[in-house]
Amino acid sequence: MVIGQQLLDGVFIGSIYALFALGYTLVFGVLDIVNLAHSAVFMLGAVFAYSLVALHGVPFGLAAPVGVVAAALLGAVIEFAALRPLRRRGAPPIAPLVSTIGLALIAVALIEQARGTGPLSWLWRDGANSVSFPAGTVPQTTYHLAGLILPLPKVITLLVSVGLMFALAYIVRRTQSGRAMRAVAENPGAAALLGVDVNRVILVTVMGASALAGLAGILFAVAISDVSPYIGRDEVELRGLAVIVLGGMGSIPGTILGGYALGLIEALALLAFGSNARVGIAFAALFLMLVLRPQGLLGSRLTERV
Amino acid sequence: MGFFTQLVTDPGGFYRGHELLVAQCGINAMLAVSIWFTLYSGQLALATAGFMAIGGYTSVVLAIHGHVPLPVGTLAGCVLAALAGVAIGLPVLRLRGVFLAIATIAFGEALRFGLILNLPLTGRGQGLTNLDADPTGGILPVWISVSVLGYLGWSITRTRLGHAWAAIREDELAAAAAAIHVRAHKLAAFVIGAVIAAYAGALDAHLNFFVDPTEYGFDRAVQVLVFAVLGGIGSVAGPIVGAVGLTALPEAARWASDYREVLYGVILMLVVVFRPQGLVARRRGTRPRGRAGRRPRPRSRGGPAAARTD
Amino acid sequence: MVRPLLELTDLRLHFGGVRALDGVSLAVPEGEVFGLIGPNGAGKTTLINMVTGLAPGGSGSVRVAGVEVMGRPAHAVAGAGVARTFQGVRLYHGLSAVENVVCGMHRRRPPDTLRELVAPLGRVRGQRAARRAAAERLLDLVGLSCAERSGVPASALAYGRQRRVEIARALALDPKLLILDEPVAGMVPTEKREIGSLLGDLCAGGLTVLLIEHDMPLVMTVCSRVAVLDFGRKIADGKPGAVARDAAVLEAYLGSEPTSAPPPPVRSPRRPAAAPRQADLARGVASGRGPALLEIRDLEVRYGAVHAVRGVSIEVAVGEIVAVIGANGAGKSTILAALSGLVRPSAGRAAFDGLDLNRAAPARIVAHGLAHVPEGRQILARLTVRENLELGGFSRGRGGRLAADMAAMEARFPILAERRSTPAGALSGGEQQVLAIARALMARPRLLLLDEPSLGLAPLLAAEVFGMIAELHRGGMTILVVEQNAHRALGLATRGYVIETGRIAFAGPAAELRANPDVRLAYLGADPGLSPADPPTAGS
Repeated sequence: MVIGQQLLDGVFIGSIYALFALGYTLVFGVLDIVNLAHSAVFMLGAVFAYSLVALHGVPFGLAAPVGVVAAALLGAVIEFAALRPLRRRGAPPIAPLVSTIGLALIAVALIEQARGTGPLSWLWRDGANSVSFPAGTVPQTTYHLAGLILPLPKVITLLVSVGLMFALAYIVRRTQSGRAMRAVAENPGAAALLGVDVNRVILVTVMGASALAGLAGILFAVAISDVSPYIGRDEVELRGLAVIVLGGMGSIPGTILGGYALGLIEALALLAFGSNARVGIAFAALFLMLVLRPQGLLGSRLTERV
Repeated sequence: MGFFTQLVTDPGGFYRGHELLVAQCGINAMLAVSIWFTLYSGQLALATAGFMAIGGYTSVVLAIHGHVPLPVGTLAGCVLAALAGVAIGLPVLRLRGVFLAIATIAFGEALRFGLILNLPLTGRGQGLTNLDADPTGGILPVWISVSVLGYLGWSITRTRLGHAWAAIREDELAAAAAAIHVRAHKLAAFVIGAVIAAYAGALDAHLNFFVDPTEYGFDRAVQVLVFAVLGGIGSVAGPIVGAVGLTALPEAARWASDYREVLYGVILMLVVVFRPQGLVARRRGTRPRGRAGRRPRPRSRGGPAAARTD
Repeated sequence: MVRPLLELTDLRLHFGGVRALDGVSLAVPEGEVFGLIGPNGAGKTTLINMVTGLAPGGSGSVRVAGVEVMGRPAHAVAGAGVARTFQGVRLYHGLSAVENVVCGMHRRRPPDTLRELVAPLGRVRGQRAARRAAAERLLDLVGLSCAERSGVPASALAYGRQRRVEIARALALDPKLLILDEPVAGMVPTEKREIGSLLGDLCAGGLTVLLIEHDMPLVMTVCSRVAVLDFGRKIADGKPGAVARDAAVLEAYLGSEPTSAPPPPVRSPRRPAAAPRQADLARGVASGRGPALLEIRDLEVRYGAVHAVRGVSIEVAVGEIVAVIGANGAGKSTILAALSGLVRPSAGRAAFDGLDLNRAAPARIVAHGLAHVPEGRQILARLTVRENLELGGFSRGRGGRLAADMAAMEARFPILAERRSTPAGALSGGEQQVLAIARALMARPRLLLLDEPSLGLAPLLAAEVFGMIAELHRGGMTILVVEQNAHRALGLATRGYVIETGRIAFAGPAAELRANPDVRLAYLGADPGLSPADPPTAGS
């Protein structure tokens, strides 16, 4: 049963990884850049929801959607502050990496400086400390099934993630907006000539990706009982990158699969080798994966046409 | 007295007051030069922190257990890094852009979490205490090394090897059709970068009494990349300027107290928005990219920026 | 016969189930220009990819000067003295032209990096100056002006100029064999003649050239032998004259008889009032007389320091076809890009049916009824044919008529219905052009901008595309077409404009332009008798 429980936890955490990494995938797919401010949005989403619940007494059922909307707005901040100015100036493809890192540093630094007094006390009062939602404010029912423990937050996480992933895959595949997104991803100039407002598509993409990050952050904070300025940077930033590579860059089903794969690999490595090695094994697996199958689990071939 | 005021009016006093900072600037400059070699040849490799760990741990382990003098320990670290560079580089260098970046990060993290944090030899998670450290005596060797590396980086762009790197950076396929052995040249850049990182790691470990495994993680790799990109990768001067500037920034911005980190982030954003080619960059009359669909070409997957040649 | 420098024996290559090359053997004699022609998708580029080590996995033998290079990696083949250019131009685009050429000298430089690092500064400078001088000489040879050589990245040069830089870079290798993949695509006759004489000079200097080209006049004048590929097989090989008369070649590639080609036949200049124009006059929508749909006044466009368009005024009336012709880099495509809002003009104004094109966003312009089929087609390769068409209707929002239009479009172009679920990138060049035009039509435009619709198409396919344009026009569409095939374009158009270095050099009814001796010499080719696809016009 220990193995079963570990695998189950692997699936739970894997769906959070997948949800978070989908945002990376969307932005990478459309803009060909890695948005390193994504993990800061994950953290801020959790912080927003926490602040509404713990500091302002808002019920969790309302705080969570508000947190997601706030995360989407942060996506607009990312686009207008760190991405669009660079596009307009024809910056090299590596430049957005630096501007988004800058944003992430600012976000983390602001939160870790926020105390009981000060301009941000409405949002965060615990500085660099880790907190969790006060007892009774979030759903805490626990189910038992065939000897496995199923806490409600984790069940919700799983259901919400799976539902959203299907919805996202449908939007991108089957709707005119999704086609416009893929057109911008492939050739912004041609998309513009077809009447697609390229900047708007990019804005919507970044905002949608950020909403996913915020949601992932909130679900993480509830399911793992951990909110701190560092949850984005330490828990999901690098793992999210691992997930998109594992699944195949830019592939939505691949990213989902990659998220669950990483969750399970970590769960198994934890069982077999203990906690330090867990991450080491995951990265060794990622490294091997890249060497053996560089296009990822579901990625398309990388060969170039002459 | 202000940071800059003292630097100008009392350089001697400034130096004595900031010896550790001066040394750290030099180490970071070397790391930035290390990543510059790979960026210049068109590869977004983020293995700097991993190779730095190899250099640092090798020299300190040899000093603790074999009482080996620093130059020999450093040399051993460099040789080990070169071997590791070849072993890692051969399989991963066919990857491009973000794929390569993540593969090299995966190497660093696998090394750190898989080996360094688990082997008794490397002190597991506790790190190693290096009693032979000499925090101030290292400054001169560090800065001599920076100068030599700077000269090499500057002059190598005018050699056959440098031109081959530029060609590969711009278009690998066209470079191969121009008789350039792409894999060999990429590997050369990667291994040179690995050796420089290990060398910097060994010197760094000798400046500190303590070798801390958390120093060699993802954050460090990204930080070094930021030094290079912010400085500008068109020439080797960029990474050195970027490293020194950003290393000194928190010290120079003491007045911002708790908000130094925020200021650091703001400065990164401002520089990259207003000088996207980096602080040290040659201006060229380029056409606006991105808007016009005039020169259709397949998008490259996140290759590093254009740099200059000859 | 001279000893063959390049000898191919029984080359075979399969992509999945498709036989890209099916047993091709060739012998390219030393010191000559050897032409390789054939329809799009015949396997020409695949063949040279195989020769240069860029298409692994085939079988057969490739000998360069007697040495087997089959299966060797690309750099080794190049090291054996085989230089090439690419159909899509692959320059080191961040580097200047001179830097491109210097970086191309890898093979001729000794591996002396370590010595260069420790050499005294004076000697390094001397070597550097010598390299630059050598690069400048090569750029002189291909006719690149000084302003284009340094200080600007190669990507900022016009496409045709980039092709020249690429030839210079290939020559920097110091090759025995030079392989050129459509070097004059998109060039006007004057430029083609320059490239033609360059090839002649190079051969006189002992170089062997393998030339892939669709431009028959060039192939006929410079090649001493020509081979023809079709569906991966060689269907003819011999002297150019004989090959051009070969029945199989006419059938597969050139089109059997010019008069049977779909577009309206080109009229003799002695009767300048060409038929299409007469017909238009009858419908009352003739040149400049109908209500103006598009009005451009003193348009100027600058790209940084480059002044690409310098005061151009063009008018297009409802129901007209207007052709814009001119050399590479003259600013033709830039004018179209300015019209659809992709670049912003620095001065002047452009109005389309009451909409200020200088201000409106690209999406707004399309929604107002101006559709632009860009140069190089720019179909979305990863999306299916159907998705490309659906996106063509994007500007119309969520209208219910989209499905009906889709069906109509598929009925009109059966090939698109047939390949509905194929990724558009898998279509051949001609099919992609059809898709690009059909996709633009999905926006229900009132004005269609076509940028080089025949670029890169074999003569037969180009004729089909022009036929399609003529048909659209007969259906009432107003069209502004930019085209390097001036013969065809002016044969189709009611009026024409000739652009030179960003200015209008000539303007007038198409027939007048075709009769103008200056235009004829520069843009229509001096010796049209050599072009089987374009029927000869009476000499002047």
